[in-house]
Amino acid sequence: MPNYILSTSRQMAKRHAREKRFKWYGRIAIFISIAFLVFMFSAIIFRGASAFQQTKISLDINFSESILDPSSSRDPDLLKRANYKPIVVESLLSVIPEVTERRDRNRLYKLLSTGAVFDLGEKVADDPSILGKSKKVWLLASSEVDLFMKGKIDPNVSEDLRRLKDRDIEWIEILKSEGRIKKKFNKTLFTNGDSREPEMAGILGAAIGSFFSLLVCFLIAFPLGILTAVYLEEYAKKNFITDFIEVNINNLAAVPSIVFGLLGLSIFLNFFHLPRSTPLVGGIVLALMTLPTIIIASRSILRSIPQSIRDAALGLGASKTQTTFHHVVPLAMPGMLTGTILGMARALGETAPLLMIGMVAFIVDIPKGVTDVATSLPVQIFLWADSPEKGFVERTSAAIMVLLAFLILMNICAVYLRKRLERRW
Amino acid sequence: MRPQIQNELRRRNRRNQIKEFVIQGVLIASSFVAILTTIGIVASLVFEAFRFFEKIPLTEFLFSLEWSPQTAIRADQVGASGKFGVIPLLTGTLLISFIAMLVATPLGLLSAIYLAEFAKAKTRDIVKPLLELLAGIPTVVYGFFAALVVAPIIRATGSGAGFDISSESALAAGLVMGVMLIPFISSLSDDVINAVPQALRDASFGMGATHEETVTKVIIPAATPGIIGSLLLAISRAIGETMIVVMAAGLAANLTLNPFEAVTTMTVQIVTLLTGDQEFDSAKTLAAFAIALFLLILTLGLNIIALRIVDKYKKKYA
Amino acid sequence: MLKKSLLLSLMTFGLTACGGGDIKPDSIKSEVPASTESRDQIKIVGSSTVYPFATTVAENFGRSTSFKTPIVESTGSGGGLKLFCSGLGDNHPDITNASRRIKASEVERCAENEIFDIVEVKVGYDGIVMANSRKSNQMNLSLKDVFLALAKDVPDGSGGLKPNSYKTWNDVNPALSTNKIEVMGPPPTSGTRDAFVELAMEGGCKTFDWIKALKKTDKKAYKSLCHTIREDEHFIEAGENDNLIVQKLNANPNALGIFGFSFLEQNADSVQGSTIDAMPPTFENIAEGSYPVSRSLYFYVKKDNVNKIPGIYEYLAEFMSDRASGPDGYLAEKGLIPMNLDEHSEWKASVLGLEPLMLN
Repeated sequence: MPNYILSTSRQMAKRHAREKRFKWYGRIAIFISIAFLVFMFSAIIFRGASAFQQTKISLDINFSESILDPSSSRDPDLLKRANYKPIVVESLLSVIPEVTERRDRNRLYKLLSTGAVFDLGEKVADDPSILGKSKKVWLLASSEVDLFMKGKIDPNVSEDLRRLKDRDIEWIEILKSEGRIKKKFNKTLFTNGDSREPEMAGILGAAIGSFFSLLVCFLIAFPLGILTAVYLEEYAKKNFITDFIEVNINNLAAVPSIVFGLLGLSIFLNFFHLPRSTPLVGGIVLALMTLPTIIIASRSILRSIPQSIRDAALGLGASKTQTTFHHVVPLAMPGMLTGTILGMARALGETAPLLMIGMVAFIVDIPKGVTDVATSLPVQIFLWADSPEKGFVERTSAAIMVLLAFLILMNICAVYLRKRLERRW
Repeated sequence: MRPQIQNELRRRNRRNQIKEFVIQGVLIASSFVAILTTIGIVASLVFEAFRFFEKIPLTEFLFSLEWSPQTAIRADQVGASGKFGVIPLLTGTLLISFIAMLVATPLGLLSAIYLAEFAKAKTRDIVKPLLELLAGIPTVVYGFFAALVVAPIIRATGSGAGFDISSESALAAGLVMGVMLIPFISSLSDDVINAVPQALRDASFGMGATHEETVTKVIIPAATPGIIGSLLLAISRAIGETMIVVMAAGLAANLTLNPFEAVTTMTVQIVTLLTGDQEFDSAKTLAAFAIALFLLILTLGLNIIALRIVDKYKKKYA
Repeated sequence: MLKKSLLLSLMTFGLTACGGGDIKPDSIKSEVPASTESRDQIKIVGSSTVYPFATTVAENFGRSTSFKTPIVESTGSGGGLKLFCSGLGDNHPDITNASRRIKASEVERCAENEIFDIVEVKVGYDGIVMANSRKSNQMNLSLKDVFLALAKDVPDGSGGLKPNSYKTWNDVNPALSTNKIEVMGPPPTSGTRDAFVELAMEGGCKTFDWIKALKKTDKKAYKSLCHTIREDEHFIEAGENDNLIVQKLNANPNALGIFGFSFLEQNADSVQGSTIDAMPPTFENIAEGSYPVSRSLYFYVKKDNVNKIPGIYEYLAEFMSDRASGPDGYLAEKGLIPMNLDEHSEWKASVLGLEPLMLN
């Protein structure tokens, strides 16, 4: 007797050990997956966090009327186009007077961003009373200065391997000692459109472009999706046409997104001649892509509404339409909205189809409507990712953080809606 | 009843009937948008692909082993010779997808099994949203990560170990694509495992099996067709993926199975051919549509097979 | 309730769609008799080499005037000229950038599509460099080396040709390293490609006497021989995005990239240009003409559109201004090799007078 008790308990030990190992495999798999997630997020935050600050240099500028507006016309256009370089150089020289040669003065001037003079121009055009006075202004520094202040340029590396030379660093130190160079919150990232210069590049244009595209997408996909789902669930009889529609929807859900872009290119752009690179076409393409998701999600919500609701309404004398639209749909609406929000979140992150319809140009202005040329946030990320300037690397990461923030927000909204308004039948 | 009331009711009835009819019409019309979209996609691809096949024979497209599409764009210019064989693109796509599946399948499946069978409700509540987060990250972010973080690390590790790994290796792109597919496989497998009836589990426990034995010897084999269906759907997704490969994979066609080399995929070539010169008369631009048609047939084919397997499986246990 | 919200959404959609494009500042309405259907934003396509300069001018133009900022797309010189010459009208670009002069066949094509008056604008000069990452050694190449490394067919030593089978730089020239030949260059839509094959490849090809003689007897065969680039893994067509090539060079120290001088200058901390025929690619060498692979940069404007699309004339004025393309202008800071004062004034006068192109 003792023999097989010992052998079974050895066997049991082996079996329990195997179970323990197996559970660990599962845990390790989950751990690795989440580790990837954490790794990605930290890599992006590490690269992007510094973009939320931008270096600015403060100078006392004398807005000399004789240089800027000799005819005293106070015309905003002329004021914007006036030559601000001499007064800026004058101010720089008052801080660092030892710069005498013309070449060196040009280098000193280059510590500032090329956009700084345009900022000045806009400032004066907005408020011409400033002419003739002297004021302290914070001006945007160039990308190299900014990177140096953020510690991303190593001053010990040999001089010809970097764009910021030793003389520049000397001058920066002088400015630092006078408290004239500081890192401030980077408003430009959120108020500007794209730019050639990293320090002036912002995501507002792309964000508004995304907003308009999603607006068009929602306005097309939501009603069409809901109506189709309602038809298929409530009205349609089981016949060949209904089956055909269902098969179509399931297939569309599986088509790669780039094919929708080609559809947009060949039919909406080439055949219908809709304006290229606009949120209008982008929205239509995204709507067609999101439609199957919304339909499938809405159908499952409608299916979960108990038959008793419909029977009760019909029993009280309601017509089919009244039953559906006054009773079933309002009950299903929270769930359908959740599905739609999740579909929109996916559409927000789509890049490939928008590349095909041309939203890849260099666009500086902020779009004002759906027929204005625009780009979208993920496409902007794609375009910036190609730029090797270090200033753009941090901006690309920052833009990714903003995009992810929007997505997480949308997902939280959807989950919140689901929890608050869901009803258990 | 008074005649006025009768007539009133008759009129109202007709009005309501018309209303019902119109509303039903609107509903049917909106459902047809889905069909119109499919027709639009097929028509646009087939039409342009047809024009392509008028210039380049189908046999060359399907069987030639060379892809060199950058032909001259003027009569007095000398460009590439214009070889339009899709096979190097197909092998590139399949190589990267294969690497992606190697990563995603074990991680996705094991996570799904653990979450479905072993995890406590609290763990599930934390882990599931995190995995859904992985699923919600836009592919352009994955692409950025692959090109700027993963590829340099792989290249550095490779040269440290004595290998020459390209900076656009199939390995880098495949690895990151695999991470993207983990939540996809995990949630599909989760559905499939949960569809296995409780009766099977109870029977297995009743026979004295441990939980792990129940899972590995009863549930997984029962769920296998469903799992295979999910894997096929994941492969189809990997084949159709664009942004990760555009940013991390190479641009030159390369007929190889070496994951350390740079390869290009069908989706990368579609993007390359259509951004920039876009004359819809040249074989070059039209080639993009031919590739897209090929891609569409491939992914839809995989999906149809996958859904059929999953359907049959679900019916078995319904 | 549902119907009301549907109606409301339709109305909002309608209103938003109408927004945008129609708002024009009053100053423009009075200056230019613009038709109400034309777009009010300048559309520019073309060369990826001129792209950094065009976008800088576009941005500055947009910020300092009340016109909308022009939209600039990088399609390659050839691709851009094709789009440019496809027709007049809103769907076609107003301006195309080119890193080589327009060809007679392209002018013909424009004429076929009713585009007769093209204004040619010379921007400045540019050198084409073959650069590699600073992590590797600088390479010293001769034009002959370049030709032998990249041509599709090379001389076999006995007056004939054989397919190019050189794998390393050492195969081409024993004085060079044993690294694998890996060059990333532009596709045929790029003007840089055209200029590269004409200057560098042809320059190296001509050093073989018998090939030079072929130019007189069979020009077509000569061109085909000298301009055709190999199609194996040693030459990779890297698209119209020169920034991307620079990035790839950073990741792959063994590779060389072919692009314009401005990209070399802007990224001088990470890439270095190879010397060609012992000439390093510097500002001075290119401006003097002693660097063998340099060319002029242009852009072309449809004269008819100057009256239709607001701002084109002012854009030209900004581009040709001293502060932009002059010897001390902001484009020179970006790596453009500017024309000297005399040449610049000459071009400025001809452009602002909208003199149409005459190809001689």
